Amino acid sequence: MATSTGTSKPADSAGLIAVNGPVETFGPIVVAVALLALLPLWFSDSGSMMGVITEGVVFGSYVIAFNIIFGSTGQLFLCIGALAGLGGFGSAILADRVDLPMIVAMVVAAAMAGLVGGVLSWVSVKRGLDTIFIGIVTLAFSLSFENFVLGRRDLTGGETGTFVDAGSDTVLRDRVPSYYVFLALLAVFLVLFRLLQRSRIGWAFRALRDDQLAAELSGVDVAWHRIFAGVVGSTMLGFTGALVAHSGRGFVGPSTFAFGEVDVRVLVMLALGGIGTLLGPVLGSALITMIDELLIDYAQLRLVFYGVILIALFLRFRHGLIPALTGFARRLLRRSD
Amino acid sequence: MISALMDGVVLGLQYGLLGVGLTLIYGLAGVINLAHGQVAVMGAIVVSLAMEADVPAVPAILIGLAAAAVFMLLVDATLMRAVYRQEGESRILLGLLIMLGVGFVIDGVLEWRYPIQQLGLRIGGEPIPILGVPMSTGSLLATAVTVVIGLVLVVFFRSTALGRGVRSVIQDEQGAMLVGIDPARVRTFVFGLSGLLAALVAVTRAMTGPVGVSSTISFTILALIVAVVGGLGSVSGAFAAGVLLGVVDRLSSFYIGTYVTTIILLLCAAITIVARPAGLFGRSH
Amino acid sequence: MTGVSGGAGAPRLLQVAGLSAGYSGEDVVHDVSLHVDEGEAVTVIGSNGAGKSTLFRAIMSLVTPSSGTVTFDGNDVTTTATHRITRMGLAYVPAERHLFGDMSVAENLLLGSYPRRPDPERLAMVYDVFPRLAERRNQHARTMSGGEQQMLAVGRALMSKPKLLMLDEPTTGLSPLLATEAYRALAELKAGGLTIVVAEQQVPLALELAQRGYVLENGRFTLEGTTDELADDPEVQRAYLGVA
Repeated sequence: MATSTGTSKPADSAGLIAVNGPVETFGPIVVAVALLALLPLWFSDSGSMMGVITEGVVFGSYVIAFNIIFGSTGQLFLCIGALAGLGGFGSAILADRVDLPMIVAMVVAAAMAGLVGGVLSWVSVKRGLDTIFIGIVTLAFSLSFENFVLGRRDLTGGETGTFVDAGSDTVLRDRVPSYYVFLALLAVFLVLFRLLQRSRIGWAFRALRDDQLAAELSGVDVAWHRIFAGVVGSTMLGFTGALVAHSGRGFVGPSTFAFGEVDVRVLVMLALGGIGTLLGPVLGSALITMIDELLIDYAQLRLVFYGVILIALFLRFRHGLIPALTGFARRLLRRSD
Repeated sequence: MISALMDGVVLGLQYGLLGVGLTLIYGLAGVINLAHGQVAVMGAIVVSLAMEADVPAVPAILIGLAAAAVFMLLVDATLMRAVYRQEGESRILLGLLIMLGVGFVIDGVLEWRYPIQQLGLRIGGEPIPILGVPMSTGSLLATAVTVVIGLVLVVFFRSTALGRGVRSVIQDEQGAMLVGIDPARVRTFVFGLSGLLAALVAVTRAMTGPVGVSSTISFTILALIVAVVGGLGSVSGAFAAGVLLGVVDRLSSFYIGTYVTTIILLLCAAITIVARPAGLFGRSH
Repeated sequence: MTGVSGGAGAPRLLQVAGLSAGYSGEDVVHDVSLHVDEGEAVTVIGSNGAGKSTLFRAIMSLVTPSSGTVTFDGNDVTTTATHRITRMGLAYVPAERHLFGDMSVAENLLLGSYPRRPDPERLAMVYDVFPRLAERRNQHARTMSGGEQQMLAVGRALMSKPKLLMLDEPTTGLSPLLATEAYRALAELKAGGLTIVVAEQQVPLALELAQRGYVLENGRFTLEGTTDELADDPEVQRAYLGVA
C-alpha cells in the first residue's frame, strides 16, 4: 500500500514532474487516446454501442473539466450539468433562433458558461465560502437551471425537449465520425490539463490545495487561481455541452444535462478514477460507462451502485485507490518509454 | 390571497420541521445530510407497507417513524464513525459525500422495489372553514400534528436537560464536555430524532397528497434550503425560515407560476449564503 | 470542613505522575508530576507558553498524554473521557471559558449540573458568591463583559458540586480591579472547603490564594514548594513578581 501522504495532494505525480520530456509529458495521453481510438473497430456496427462509447468519451471531457475546478482548487461545483447545459441550450438557441453560425454559437455559449462559472467562483472567493457553501450555492444554481429549462418551453421545449437544426449537415450526426470528434475534444482537454499541471499555475494549484495559507504566504494569488480554474473548467463544460447539442440525434431535453444524470455520474467517475490525476477522469468514465452498460436492464440498481461506490470509495479506499491509480499511470508511462 | 397565505403557513410549518432535522445534524456532527428526504420517504413507504399488511394507521405510522429513526441511528453508528475521525473541511466534505451516497442507495432501492408505492392518508370529512377559507380535514390534521410536534420540540429544547444538552453541544462542544455532556451520545440521539422528524413530515404530507419515491429529492432540497436560510445549526431559525419560505412558495405560485417558485426558493438559499452565511435568523459573526 | 488547609493527613485528590503531552506528536509538557490534597489551594505559575494550559488539558483528557498517569479521587483517569472526569467531580474552567454564548446565564448554570437536576441550594450559593449573575440571569452569556463571563464560567463549574476546581488563568482579560475581585471570590470558595488548582500569570494574586505552588518553565517544573518559599525565591521574585 502506498503511503498516504500523497493522497491529499492532487496530481499525485511528483515522480512524473521530476522528468519533463515530451514522452513523459504526453505519453500517457497518447496511449489512452490511441486505445480509445481503436474502440470503433469493434463497435462501429452497433448504433447503440457507438452511442454508449461516445457518451463515455463525452463524460470523460466533463470529468476532466470538473477535475480542474474541484481537483485542482477544491471548489465543489455541483452544477456540472447546468454549465454544460448552458453551453448546450445556449448554442442551440443561438444557432437556430439567432442564426449565428454553429461554431460561433458554440464559442459564445461556451464563453457564457465560462462567465457564469467565473462569477460563481468570484462570489465564493469574495465571500470566503468554504466547500460546503460553494456546494449549496452551485447546487441551487443547478436546480434553478433545471427548472428554467422545464419552465421556458418556448426556448427549450420544456419536458419534451427540442431538436437542434444546426449541425444536421455535418459529420456530427454520423455515428463513427462524431465519436472521433468527441475523442479529439477529450485529447485536447487532456493535453490542456497536462500543460496546466506542468505550468506555474499547476504548481500554484498544488500549493493551494495542500495548504491554502502557506500558498498565500509564499505569494500564490489564491483568489485569482480559483477564479481561473472556475472559468477554464466551466468554459470546457460549456463547450462540451454545446458539441453534445449539435451532435448525435441533435436533441436536447431536460434530462440531457440534468443534475441526476450528469453531476452524479461525473462525481462518481472522478472519485473512482482519482481526484486531481491526469488519467483518472478517463479511467473513471470508462469504468462507470462499462458498468452502466452491464446494468442496463437494472437501471434502478445503477443508483444503488453509485451510492455504494461513493460510500466505499470515500470510506475505505480514499487512501488506497488513488495512489494505486497513479501507480497504474506510472506503469503506463514506463511502458510507453 | 388569504387562502394562499394560510396554505403558505401550513406548508411552511412542515418545511420548518423538515429543516430542523437537517439543521440539527449539521449543528451536532458537521454533516449535511443529503439523504434527509430519502429517509423521510423511506419512513412513509414503511407506513404504507404496514398499512397494506392490515396494521391500523396509528401503529403503522409509529412503525414507519421508528424505522426511519433506527436507520439514522445505524448510519451514525457505522458510516459516520469514519467521518467523525476527520476534522474541519475534510470532515464536512466526507460527511456530505457519504450521505449523498446513502441517498443514492435509498433512492435506488425504493425505485427498484417500490417504484409505485405511495403513502396517501386520506382523512374523511367535509372541509372546515377557517377565517372564511375552507380547509380540508387532512390539511388541518397535518397542521395540528406539525404544530404540536413543533411545540413539543420547543419545550424539549428549552426545558429539558437533554434538550439543553443538544443545544450546548451545537454551541460549544468542548464547553459541553466540561459540564459533563457526552457529545457522541447526544449526536446519536439527534441522528435518531432527525430520522423520526423526517418521516413525520412525510407522513403529514401524505395527509394532503400522496408521498412516494418521486418526492425524495425535492424533500432533501427543501430541507437544505430551509436549513440554510434559517442558519445551519439553528432550530428556531429553521422554523422561522420554514414558515417564511412556505408563504413565499404559496404566494409566488399563486401570482407567478410554479417553475419560478422553485427558482425563487433556491435563490433565497443562494442569496442567504452569499449575503449572510449565518442564516437570516442566525446571528452574524 | 471550614478553612481546612492541606496537611499531611488530608486525602490525596489529584495525582499527576510523569505526565508528558503535546500536539501532533510534539510534547509541550515534559515529565511533570504534581499532587493536590483535599482542601488545598495549589497554583501553577509560569509565563505565557510555558505549558500550563496543555498540562490542564492533558489532565482533562482534552489532549491525550504521550506518557504518565493522572489519578483523580483514587481512580486512574489518564484516558477517561472528559465528560466522565467532569462527572467524577473535577471541574475545569479553561481560559477561553467555553460558555454557551447564545444561552442565558440561568441556562448556562443549569447545564452546569448536567445530567442531574440543579440543586436549588447550590444555585443560591453561586448567586450568593456572584450577585452579578443573579442580576443578569436572563441575559445571553455572549453579551456580558469579560469579568461577568469569568464569573459565569466559575459559577457553571460550581453547579456540578465539584470536589476539585481547576482554573486556567481566570484573570485573562480582566482589569486589575476585577482580577482582585475574582480572587476574592476564589478565596471565599476555598474558605468554604473547596479544593482549588489555579494556573496563573498574575503571580502575586495566585501566591496569596494558594498554600503551595509549582513553577512551570518550558514545559517542566523548575521549582515547587509552599507559596511562602516561592515568594522568597529570588528567581520567582525576578521573573514573576517584578522585584529587581
